[in-house]
Amino acid sequence: MKFPWLSLILALAVAVPVLAHGNKKHVMGTLEKVSAESVTVKTANGKSVEVKLGPKTMYVTKDNKAAKAGDLAVGQRVVIHATPKGQELIADQVKFADATAAAAHP
Amino acid sequence: MKRGNIILLALVILLGVAAALAASVLHDGVSARATPSALEIFLARNLRHLAIPADARAMKNPVADSPEVQREARMHFADHCAICHGNDGSGDTPIGHGLYPKPPDLRQPRTQQLSDGEIYWIIENGVRLTGMPAFGGSAEQDSGGDSWKLVRFIRHLPQLTMEERMEMEQNNPKGPEDREEEKQEEEFLKGGQPQPSEAAPHHHH
Repeated sequence: MKFPWLSLILALAVAVPVLAHGNKKHVMGTLEKVSAESVTVKTANGKSVEVKLGPKTMYVTKDNKAAKAGDLAVGQRVVIHATPKGQELIADQVKFADATAAAAHP
Repeated sequence: MKRGNIILLALVILLGVAAALAASVLHDGVSARATPSALEIFLARNLRHLAIPADARAMKNPVADSPEVQREARMHFADHCAICHGNDGSGDTPIGHGLYPKPPDLRQPRTQQLSDGEIYWIIENGVRLTGMPAFGGSAEQDSGGDSWKLVRFIRHLPQLTMEERMEMEQNNPKGPEDREEEKQEEEFLKGGQPQPSEAAPHHHH
């Protein structure tokens, strides 16, 4: 029975619960470049923002249907939720509307 | 070996471990950014295992699995648990990253190999000195049924579909600003005009 008490003493000595904040960014605009590694989004204020795509990136349509990276195309409207990593933005989720939606409401 | 020598040896080992831990705390401070050492993980997991009564570990889930139970538990998880564990159970969330210890990836064998009773007990009673609270209420509140449904959902996590995950996102707790932004994003995707201030990358906590 010594082991549980030893475990308890050591666990009490070292465990401290603390909450922390995250650091997410949202990018909204129209796709102007698409590659296997990244997309470039032209935002409404005219800036181009590159966002890296990764193995954990989720792709969904505006109707919340599952999609894949291959469904992305230049001209589509996108809303990207991304995590900054160094100087880069890594996409967590890319939500997009097909180009006809943008064309219908330029 | 004489009893006195055994006690002396045990004390020396204990002092050595205490000195190593003290050195670790002095070096890293009490920051939650650190990742627990293998020793801490080993001790904490064994302690948790020993702390859960054997009859609780052996409990069987009284709630039968069904699409309705899964949906209810999914929404419950999205509302109460996902803020730390993530909708997919990975623990890959801003709060999850800031906790010490980090929440486990619920999809992995380390959690999936726990018995239903162990998972239920942890949900109901929490785990001291971690970020895991006790969700069990009084008998009048009858939280047990919900917790058993959550056990069903945790078993399903490794097979969570993208559609289920997106549905959960709709049920994640959000403040008024987040809801307004979500509305603007939906309108933009439907062809609406973005406000210039919306187009620049937004910073979120």
